[in-house]
Amino acid sequence: MNVTIRPLSDTDIEDITRIDEKVGGVYRPDFWEDRVAYYLRRDPESSRVALVGDQVVGFMLGDIRGGEFGLEDRSGWIERFGVDPDHRGKGIARQLFDALAAHFAGTGAKTLRTFVDASQADNAKFLAALGFVPSRLTALEKTL
Amino acid sequence: MNLETTNLPKKYEDAIAHWVKHNFQDLPILDKYWDKHFPADDKFCLCAKMDLSTSRTQELGDHAGAPKAEDPSELSEEQARQILGIIRAQASTEFGSIQQHQVTIDRSPSDQDKFWILRVMAEELRHGYQMFHMLTSRNWDKLSGGVKTEDMVEDVLQMETGTHVLEAFNLPYDSFVDNVVFSGVIDRVGKYQLTMQKVCAYRPFAQSMAPMLREEAFHLAAGVVPMRRWLEAAAQGDGFITPKQIQQSLNKWIPRGLEMFGDERGGEKNMKLGFKDMKNGEAQLKYWNEVAKLLHDLNLRFLRARFPTKSPADVDRLLAAILRERTTIEGTQYDEILKMPHREFFRRRGEPAFRLVSVEGDPFTDVEEYVRHLAAVLPPAYLASRDMMQYRDLIRRVSGGEVTKEEAAMKSPVMKRRAESVCPCSKGVRWVDTDEAGAVEKLPKLAANEPPTSTSGPGGPTYHAP
Repeated sequence: MNVTIRPLSDTDIEDITRIDEKVGGVYRPDFWEDRVAYYLRRDPESSRVALVGDQVVGFMLGDIRGGEFGLEDRSGWIERFGVDPDHRGKGIARQLFDALAAHFAGTGAKTLRTFVDASQADNAKFLAALGFVPSRLTALEKTL
Repeated sequence: MNLETTNLPKKYEDAIAHWVKHNFQDLPILDKYWDKHFPADDKFCLCAKMDLSTSRTQELGDHAGAPKAEDPSELSEEQARQILGIIRAQASTEFGSIQQHQVTIDRSPSDQDKFWILRVMAEELRHGYQMFHMLTSRNWDKLSGGVKTEDMVEDVLQMETGTHVLEAFNLPYDSFVDNVVFSGVIDRVGKYQLTMQKVCAYRPFAQSMAPMLREEAFHLAAGVVPMRRWLEAAAQGDGFITPKQIQQSLNKWIPRGLEMFGDERGGEKNMKLGFKDMKNGEAQLKYWNEVAKLLHDLNLRFLRARFPTKSPADVDRLLAAILRERTTIEGTQYDEILKMPHREFFRRRGEPAFRLVSVEGDPFTDVEEYVRHLAAVLPPAYLASRDMMQYRDLIRRVSGGEVTKEEAAMKSPVMKRRAESVCPCSKGVRWVDTDEAGAVEKLPKLAANEPPTSTSGPGGPTYHAP
């Protein structure tokens, strides 16, 4: 299976929406229109999609930022990703990650960062396999 | 990408500032509300951005493997003429699109739509600035046919809608639908051209492409996302912006977009010179397929909004059935589904120029019947334009045998340098006194609307020099 990785494009909105729907069971076009537009205006190279033939089968959306949470250095952030359930187990997410990590490193970022929902064990396991370890920063929240 | 930013010499900065005053009055509004609409994004920077990581080696062409040219003095006369033509056309598109957007920007249905387009305009201004950096940061005197840098800059700044290099930038917008469809369709050609030019054998130009491409990606979204939202509203019964209006605008712009690639049979010269990595026809086909995919996705968005309980697979089947049967199914009319206009429809340049072909690809034998067809499928406001009057007259004359297709292609747009500036207080902009004997003739040869060279096939000015 030949997988191609390329930067995010406006024409990926529908495909990403469909993958998200297959994974989560909810159709959220407005959400993905906003998010794709956001990532495109930040830097299309910091978000990637994976294709098999002409079909988008996975995505990983990220950003390069600094100055937040006392983190002055610019870090590469991996914020959202998903792989079509029909194409899982083929190393697609790993290829997406490798492409993004190389891009972030090329811009001078020294650290990759992300958050993971503790209830999503598969995601936590995947990120650990990529080399992510718990950060000294702890995510905190308070209900209002 | 390893970016370096730089600025133009003051007199060119002043000239652009003056141009902005008359052509992009809303730029200060964008700056004022930037943080509201684009929080966390870096402020807009009117500067030239060069990607220092660009390859120093020619990647294709007759001199593949040789070092890229870093300075005009390293270019042959033919290469210099070609690259100056590309820079001029590119600059024209950037300033031209701002002039088009500005006319209807205030008709935007929402603040988000307006500020997205304003950001697009600002970044187009930066791209024009980038092209002026190409002209002003190096000495072209020996290669520009005696034309001074000031004159090349002035040549672009005095253009207005109707006198730009490419047809797509000479058509006024009829409504805010055009702002959006233009961004989704015409800016997409820009993406292809910038991508093809990343390999350019003239390295400063190649260095300009990646930063421009990064910004161009959002321009396409500024077209696509509003179209998706409009179609969602239309599917749910909102009749203000309909699929028919969007289709008419697509029919207006897509033929011009196809022509921006140049004649379908040309482009070999740019590849031989190492300036682009695809021929015109190949790039045009990829563009065609991408826009077709875009319309397919828009149709899915429309149908899923209309039938929220249907599964994705059922909507796929419904769309396929409507397109196959060309009829109303489950209350959705064939005309509510967006379709690519046929590649030969409404063409005035390139291989199918001035053929009588309907939007769906059916041939006409009677030119008057064809003119009535155009009236039915193009935006009503556009029909009353000078451009349409000229096209109607030309197609009648071509059909009547009064002029050949090639002659007709050369007549539009009217490439005429104006004797007076577009701006009554333009002394800050202009360096050229066109009353001076021979001033027009001093323009670079590439600036004229010349007949095509033997390698390009018929057609007039293209995005690149033919």
